[in-house]
Amino acid sequence: MTAASAGFGAARARTRRSLLREGARRHPRALFGAVAAALAALAVLAVGFGTVAIAPETTMAIVLHRVLGLETGATWSAASETIVWDLRIPRVLTAAMVGAALAVAGATFQGLLRNPLADPYVLGTASGAALGAAVALLIPVRIVVVEFGLVHAFAFVGALLAITVVYRLSRLSAWSGMTSLLLTGYAVGSLLAAGLAMAMYLSGATLRQIFAFLLGGFEAATWPRLAIALPLVVFGTAGILWRARVLNGLMLGEEAAAHLGVDVRRERAILLALGSLVTAAAVAVSGLIGFVGLVVPHVIRLVVGPSARAVLPLSIVVGACLLVLADLGARLLGDIPVGVVSALVGAPFFLFLLRRAQSGYEL
Amino acid sequence: MDASLPRSIPRSRFGTLLAAVVLAAAAAGCGTPQSTRITPQPGATTSALPPSTATPDPSPSPAFPVTLVDDEGTEVEITTEPERIVSLTPATTEILFALGVGDHIVGRVEDITLFPPEAGPIPEVAGFGTVNVEAIVGLEPDLVIAGGNFFTPPDGIERLRSVGLTVLVVYAPDVETVFADIELTGRAVGRADEALALADAIRAEFDAVATAASDLARPRVFYELDATGAIYGPADASFLAEMIALAGGDPITTGSPDAFEIPLERLIAADPEVILLGDAAYGVTADAVAARAGWNVMTAVRDGAIRPTEDVIITRPGPRLGEGLRSLALAIHPDLDLPAEGGG
Repeated sequence: MTAASAGFGAARARTRRSLLREGARRHPRALFGAVAAALAALAVLAVGFGTVAIAPETTMAIVLHRVLGLETGATWSAASETIVWDLRIPRVLTAAMVGAALAVAGATFQGLLRNPLADPYVLGTASGAALGAAVALLIPVRIVVVEFGLVHAFAFVGALLAITVVYRLSRLSAWSGMTSLLLTGYAVGSLLAAGLAMAMYLSGATLRQIFAFLLGGFEAATWPRLAIALPLVVFGTAGILWRARVLNGLMLGEEAAAHLGVDVRRERAILLALGSLVTAAAVAVSGLIGFVGLVVPHVIRLVVGPSARAVLPLSIVVGACLLVLADLGARLLGDIPVGVVSALVGAPFFLFLLRRAQSGYEL
Repeated sequence: MDASLPRSIPRSRFGTLLAAVVLAAAAAGCGTPQSTRITPQPGATTSALPPSTATPDPSPSPAFPVTLVDDEGTEVEITTEPERIVSLTPATTEILFALGVGDHIVGRVEDITLFPPEAGPIPEVAGFGTVNVEAIVGLEPDLVIAGGNFFTPPDGIERLRSVGLTVLVVYAPDVETVFADIELTGRAVGRADEALALADAIRAEFDAVATAASDLARPRVFYELDATGAIYGPADASFLAEMIALAGGDPITTGSPDAFEIPLERLIAADPEVILLGDAAYGVTADAVAARAGWNVMTAVRDGAIRPTEDVIITRPGPRLGEGLRSLALAIHPDLDLPAEGGG
């Protein structure tokens, strides 16, 4: 009797879960709303916590004062205001922006290349950005333009140059298409990595700076840097979202996409450019942060299915959530690299989802 | 991506190696630090007191406000005598304690060979190559003393300045600059006279070593920083090479102004007469060195002239540098006749 009812209960729970999954598949908008609310809650939490303890009401009063000009009668020290307004808020917003950018770029590259192992860095952008940053650090003069230092500028340019070279070279190949693009990206990436290794060998005391860039992080987040990177990310992301249907077409294969009326060559170039722009902007402000761009789109496909029209918007919010959470963890654990935390939190969750996945998907 | 980091070196050890690289980074290498030379005020100091007995009298009031030029050439204005200081280099922590203002330090950099022990309870707000800006801002310091030449991340220094903190950057690529930095730090914290006395005391120790070693032959010395993977020793014209020369040795260097790696072939060709183990603290012994393949052809190995050193006091540009030079001279010339400590 009891065993039977327990079995029945389990069956009911299973049904409820599959209903939930069905719900998620049918109503990605509701899921998007839920995740967006979670992101907002996480952001509030991330602004509230840090190395220095600041009372929640003080944090609130500072934010109200700076955003709305409201006076709540509360008083606080100049140090608290600096910590909340100049250090934490730009940092949390930057983490959210970078998480969103990398996840959306990862989803784009995976769909475009029809390769589940693709991530925003697969076509040489990472090596290009890292080499750019290393070269900037080897230049002895320090030039700072509106707080956007040489390192960030060179990383941005390096990423875009790398992808441009890869794209151009891949088109010279006899067999055009995704395989050629991937292999060219790998070859150019290896070449740039060799350059990076040489730069690190020559770097002397700047080695740790290069190393910090390779690990990635948000310590360097400031309002001006956010203000420069955000428009690029918003522009690129909006462009990708606009082309979600094209991406769905491309995922069916070149021929099928062409039959659907997609100008394959042109659309692929545009999506590649937008994805790279978003990646380059993210990398320039945060250094190389792995995992997010590779795994977040897969997590979402496991839950809602492969349609880019659902995967892209959800990638934005889930990617943002993951990095805001990972950065909060990294700060509370004594400023350890954020990539370490995101992988530690995300990888087991991903394995759990993989184990429970009832239906797979093909890219 | 991280392929060029020597993985065989344990992390803490690698940190120390990096620290050594930073502290001893080549004078001819990256950047051109414009060290401040402060003209000693005549009559300000005549008695070279050892640092331990220097009494911290409050300096006369006109010391502040003061505008100092730091080792990166930045003009730094300090309006009042600092009472809440954050020290971002281990040498600065030692200097501040030696000047009698250790109790004004509210935050400090991590120091794996903590000195002085009194610094222990002070909260750590930075590590090797990292800096926790939020923690520093939270301490509300009126002066932050940071390390140049990438010891403190330049981005961190920029951040601290952008939120309105006063940051003085020190970086000593050579022995003269160590004295200048002690005096610069002294002026920044209102202990100019004590700083002059401290610098003079260290100078006196340097003179004593130079006098004692002047008549002796100068053996070829290789100072080993690390040899778990590749072999690391002093770069040409580095701080460490200068120290070895001052201690009466002929330094074997890497042949590069800023690389600290030396090929075994070059080391064998240079044939050291004395090998000093800066990595002795990590368990490297003379026997272990003698057992290494190819090392037995070196004169130092055949003569058994392989000696441990106390690396921290030799490479750290702080108040114990005089002591460091003495120990280095004794490691090179074991029967050197040195007058008692304190130059007296």
